[in-house]
Amino acid sequence: MTSPNIIPANANGIRDKAAIVGIGETEFSWHSGRSELQLASEAIKAACDDAGIAPQDIDGLIRYDMESNHETLLTQSLGIKNLRHWESVSYGGGAGNATVGHAAAAIAAGYANYVVCFRAANLRSGVRLGRARGPESIPGGADSFAVPWGSMAPAHRFGMFVRRYMHQYRATSRHFGWVAVTLREHASRNPRALRRERITIDDHQNSRMVVDPLHVLDFCQENDGAAAVVMTTPERARELRHSDTLTLVEAAAQGAGPGNDGIVYRPDLAVAESEHTARDLWARARLSAADMDAMMFYDHFTPFCLINLETYGFVPPGEAKDFVEGGGNIRFDGMLPVNTHGGNHSEAYVHGLTHVQEAVRLIRGTSTAQPPHKTINRVLSCSSVAQLSGAVIIRRG
Amino acid sequence: MAQQTEPAAKSLAMAKPLEGVPLPDLDRVPDYERGFWEGTRAGELRIQQCADCRRFRHLPTPMCPECSSLAYDWTRVSGRGFVYSFVIVGHPVHPAIREREQTPYNICMIELAEQESLRICSNVLQVEPEDIEIDMPVRVTFVPAVDNPDVVLPVFLPASEQ
Repeated sequence: MTSPNIIPANANGIRDKAAIVGIGETEFSWHSGRSELQLASEAIKAACDDAGIAPQDIDGLIRYDMESNHETLLTQSLGIKNLRHWESVSYGGGAGNATVGHAAAAIAAGYANYVVCFRAANLRSGVRLGRARGPESIPGGADSFAVPWGSMAPAHRFGMFVRRYMHQYRATSRHFGWVAVTLREHASRNPRALRRERITIDDHQNSRMVVDPLHVLDFCQENDGAAAVVMTTPERARELRHSDTLTLVEAAAQGAGPGNDGIVYRPDLAVAESEHTARDLWARARLSAADMDAMMFYDHFTPFCLINLETYGFVPPGEAKDFVEGGGNIRFDGMLPVNTHGGNHSEAYVHGLTHVQEAVRLIRGTSTAQPPHKTINRVLSCSSVAQLSGAVIIRRG
Repeated sequence: MAQQTEPAAKSLAMAKPLEGVPLPDLDRVPDYERGFWEGTRAGELRIQQCADCRRFRHLPTPMCPECSSLAYDWTRVSGRGFVYSFVIVGHPVHPAIREREQTPYNICMIELAEQESLRICSNVLQVEPEDIEIDMPVRVTFVPAVDNPDVVLPVFLPASEQ
């Protein structure tokens, strides 16, 4: 029997067929004081303003399936005249880059002209993902084989990867600390960021151990806010506000390996599921990590910086700990600028869409931690969430 | 961790499974999972095994992911294994864990002796958090859940080398 994951699927029908023409977001906060529909409407309006189109021009919507805002609500609120195309991309962290890949496919297929990808949620003042859900019993499934033993929060499950990674590659909490220090330094330059106070490696090491091996300064934030991007064809993009700097989607991929239900059942927990995503992405783009000028990674927990660096091929397995040591290589002025906005860790947690926005800013030259030493032509925005991942390459057009 | 151990230091080892946390509703669990809980109630660790290619699997599924057979058995396994990975939870995220002061507690992925990468999530009792390590040998035991004794939880104890 042929295993489906060894049949290549490396055609790249979306290559340079779609451009990100607008990015927008609300302020990020611990308590937005308003509805998730309000947040979505504001972020999408801001992205349309940035693009130079009216919300009524939108004819495609790509939402996360975790969104409370459904197509009908948004069509009504935005005054969309004809919603021709809509999709819901499942899971949180895996969806951020994936929404952009789906939008590019819809545009390349000619199914819609102006497609919006968005995420809007009160993830702090509303339902917090880091908290256990209610006291009710479990109707079976992965949770019934985890929650009775106290595995009920993301850190409990992703921590299993981290422990195994540390064991296999002799990485230490201090290496993760350098990621935290660097992301916070980037955020210190970013007025949108929720956490801007710089930290030292000692601050990280002395911070509360929440789920050993993860310190509190290894965690992303839980906050309220919304983010949106507007996409269209390169031809239309040349008529819009940012016609001087096109930001094209060069390739996209999603992937999931065996054992991803319940998160912790992969055969080797030191290797992320994104090995599948990375392989397809590079084959489709006919590029490699060496062609990337910056990496935006989904930082739900800092150790996944190391895991992304390795699975996407920036460094060989086991060498990411040396690469992040001291933070210099991954700083905005370093060899590989990483999460120059401060990421989920220090800017805000909007389920990965802010990473795509930052990729666009880097190419436009408008990041608050813009690399001073090189022009950014290509950015990888990627995730190694640990169960299903997505990645997209954004390039200067 | 270099920690001075006073003779009178309070043990942080788990003596029993957590209390007050959500449990499976045995009337609602799907048919292909029921055998696990019937096993624990009988004091046996039973793992789903393909009736055709004989591979074990967990989490339970209706179909064998290796050979696509829909036939399976619930096979008693030895209950021996080792700690594959673990976390020590210091911060309570559930009200019952906070209110009943049940931290710290450990969550361990136990790899069962019968097959490579065959793992279940559990706790290792009677061991100090700092003494838990990868590859540590363990053996199963069974404790009825305080909140619903019909649900019997498999938990593990440190074992001598196998």
